[in-house]
Amino acid sequence: MTEMLKVDGISKSFGGLMAVHDLSFAIRQGETVGLIGPNGAGKTTLVNLLCGSLYADRGEVELEGKKITRFPPYQRCHLGLSRTYQIPRPFPELTALMSVVTGALCGKNRINRGLDDAGAEATHYLEFVGLFSKRNILARDLTFFELRMLELARALATTPKILFVDEVMAGLNPGEATKAVRLIARAKEQFGLTIFWIEHVMAVLMEAAERIIAIQFGEKIAEGTPEEIAGNDRVIEAYLGSGWKKEVAI
Amino acid sequence: MWETLEVVLIYSFILGSIYLLISLGFSIICGVLRIFHLGYAYLFTLTVYLTWMFMKEFGFGLVPALLAMVVVQFLISYIIYKGIIMKYVAREEIILTGLLLVSTIVEQAVNYRYPIQAGVFIQTTLIEGASEFGTVVISNQLLVGAAVALLLTALFILFFLKTRIGLAIRALSQDIYSSRLIGIHVEALYTLTMFLILIPVILGTLIVAPIWAVDPTMGSLYMTTAILVAILGGLGNIRGTIIASYLIGFTHAFVSFVLGEPRFMNFSALLLVIIILMVRPQGIAKSEALW
Amino acid sequence: MVDVEIKRDRVIIRYKGKKWDWILEPRYWRNTLIWTAFLILFPLVAYFVSPILLNTLISANLYAAIAIPLALMTVGTGRMNFGPNFFIGVGGYTAALLSIAYGWGPLATLPFAVIASLISALLFSPLVIVARGLYYVLLTLLLPLVFLEITFIYTDLFKGDVGLAGIQTLVNTGSVKINFLLSAFISMLLMLVYLWVVNKVLKSRYGLIMAAINDGEEVAHGIGVNINKVKILAFVFASGMIGVIGWFYAHYFGTFAGITYLPLNFMIKILLVIFIGGRAQVFGCVVGGYFIAFLEMILIVTMGPIQPVVFAIILTVLLFALPEGLFGLYRKRRYREYLPTLHVRR
Repeated sequence: MTEMLKVDGISKSFGGLMAVHDLSFAIRQGETVGLIGPNGAGKTTLVNLLCGSLYADRGEVELEGKKITRFPPYQRCHLGLSRTYQIPRPFPELTALMSVVTGALCGKNRINRGLDDAGAEATHYLEFVGLFSKRNILARDLTFFELRMLELARALATTPKILFVDEVMAGLNPGEATKAVRLIARAKEQFGLTIFWIEHVMAVLMEAAERIIAIQFGEKIAEGTPEEIAGNDRVIEAYLGSGWKKEVAI
Repeated sequence: MWETLEVVLIYSFILGSIYLLISLGFSIICGVLRIFHLGYAYLFTLTVYLTWMFMKEFGFGLVPALLAMVVVQFLISYIIYKGIIMKYVAREEIILTGLLLVSTIVEQAVNYRYPIQAGVFIQTTLIEGASEFGTVVISNQLLVGAAVALLLTALFILFFLKTRIGLAIRALSQDIYSSRLIGIHVEALYTLTMFLILIPVILGTLIVAPIWAVDPTMGSLYMTTAILVAILGGLGNIRGTIIASYLIGFTHAFVSFVLGEPRFMNFSALLLVIIILMVRPQGIAKSEALW
Repeated sequence: MVDVEIKRDRVIIRYKGKKWDWILEPRYWRNTLIWTAFLILFPLVAYFVSPILLNTLISANLYAAIAIPLALMTVGTGRMNFGPNFFIGVGGYTAALLSIAYGWGPLATLPFAVIASLISALLFSPLVIVARGLYYVLLTLLLPLVFLEITFIYTDLFKGDVGLAGIQTLVNTGSVKINFLLSAFISMLLMLVYLWVVNKVLKSRYGLIMAAINDGEEVAHGIGVNINKVKILAFVFASGMIGVIGWFYAHYFGTFAGITYLPLNFMIKILLVIFIGGRAQVFGCVVGGYFIAFLEMILIVTMGPIQPVVFAIILTVLLFALPEGLFGLYRKRRYREYLPTLHVRR
């Protein structure tokens, strides 16, 4: 399997705070890789760095062999990188259909994509996430779960090769959560995506991810299969504190 | 060469101080109320012409006219705050255009009643004569103006840093909702701020009125300088405003005396602002707070 | 007898058992034909009634023709440009200077006026990217004022407040009145062309991209929109359109003085065409343009020298009384659409 995304020693600091420190990992094509870490570990900063909202101080990011470290976000999108946001960021004044159409229209550098063609494509993605009946409703009138689905549809409409899913479980009840996980799995199958999944809810990643990377304070503390991570001492300590380990040891 | 340097430095100081007086209010309103008081220009026009009106139409003496003018300005500020700013807090474009319109109304009304030939003159010279600094002769009035500017700015800084109300206003400028939560009376403090900034503007205009031109369009001239100073200094930051006023004072002095082209003062100031904004988009100030 | 029923989008008239309905939508093709025909007939009527009406008509068309690209610029850049008359100055002075220096007619100066506006817009386009929302407002506010100062500084070239005279007129048929009428039709044509072009742009995929940028710039950047390119293109393109109006003013009046167009008074009129007409909706600009031009004319005729004060007061009152603008009164009753509206962001 070829390497889709390679991150080599990236660092980012804000003033005196080192948010991400010398992080390196690689994601191969077709994998689902999870990213976990306690609050403040630097997960969102890492995603922002990879997507282009922030520029790294040091290090390199490669997408399919191309160095994208200094590329602006829209160029990364054209090369196949898409993300969803932790707190959904829809286009509040656009209808659901038009939001996805924007994604379909701009996602790739196609010259002659007309509004109607993009509209037809967008309905396909809306149908995939189950929002077709809500296509003419303004994004600000949708429910929270529908907003998440809209985010997903819009990201999918840009025909990405690798999709960053940022804490999609947050705020969903168990029924919605299952639906979301199944949808992402189906999307991966149907569209041939690679998925980089940042998540807090461990149970989801245990099932869905093939590999998990754990970070804390901006540094990588573990990398491996879900079982390995679950048993990793440093990970447990990061989440639960060192006192826990002493109790368990008894 | 030394003489030119002397002239430039002294004029930078004098001009910078006067500009500080003029721009301080605009910057503080931006910082505290988070709006652009595009009607700021009317404050200058009203100061001069209201006093003139009270003296000519109502026969007041100079001092009663000044007092009456101050009272009327306070009233107008209050009405503008309540009528325009408070009502349209969510619709910035309406506030901006509305304030601009107020300024236009004042300018047109003044132009109609006291057109430029009417010979308006306010005798507010505090100290007659001029002083010499080497080869440079500066009118004493301007020196007084510089002193007043520095004193007033120091008072403002002390107010914002050391008093309780000043602290409340600083908190207000950073987050309205949290301020409300801890019991700060937002509307009262906003009104207080609008009154506070009248002080440097009125004093500044009265001091320079006998020396610099008085005509119905003087508002826009001072306003242009105030805008440039406020943008350059980082809107709402007093430290930035101080630095910016002297920078622009220096630019004006430099262009006038070293390049010998006083007509290019405003243009060169605009160029300076644009260049610095391209390098540092948030202006000179290091923070977005008041100090 | 005759029963008139006004529904959300149509008027239904019932008379003796028969029913007609008429769709209330300015863009419905029959309505468009009707009001276009009206607009075309109006100059002919005004020609016979009074020259003042014709002049007001031209003013109205030109105000609308400035407001329409300004609306496009606002939607495209996501910021409110408070100094569009800067480009009027650029276009007008280019046309005036070329016509006086080389004796060129209007058709020859037109391309140069456009190119001058485009170049000056390109020069100042970093403002669109670098200046945050309200900084942009302030800096664009200053541009025409500084330009005005320059015209005073270089008085020998720009003739300061006296203005340049001797520019070739727009049309020359020998009869002044016919010239007038033809100029009126040209201004009408200009305004209609602008209306059509900007409407097409806003309804196309570019309009959608602009709406997306307005709603969430960072998000739009992330889904593949080159936001800087879109903003600069909108800015430059709209500036070119505004420059043409400057060209028109120069050739129509035969004189061009910066002091007529560059100070704040003129700019406020344009801004109010947008706000009173209907916030950044292009049809609202036409309504606003006509409203402001005719209001101004009525006040000048009835009030004399106090006109500027009363005009400003009336505009202020209207600004607050009609938060959605005149056209917005109508639009409130329509179904929602995705057309981008005016968002000024911090």
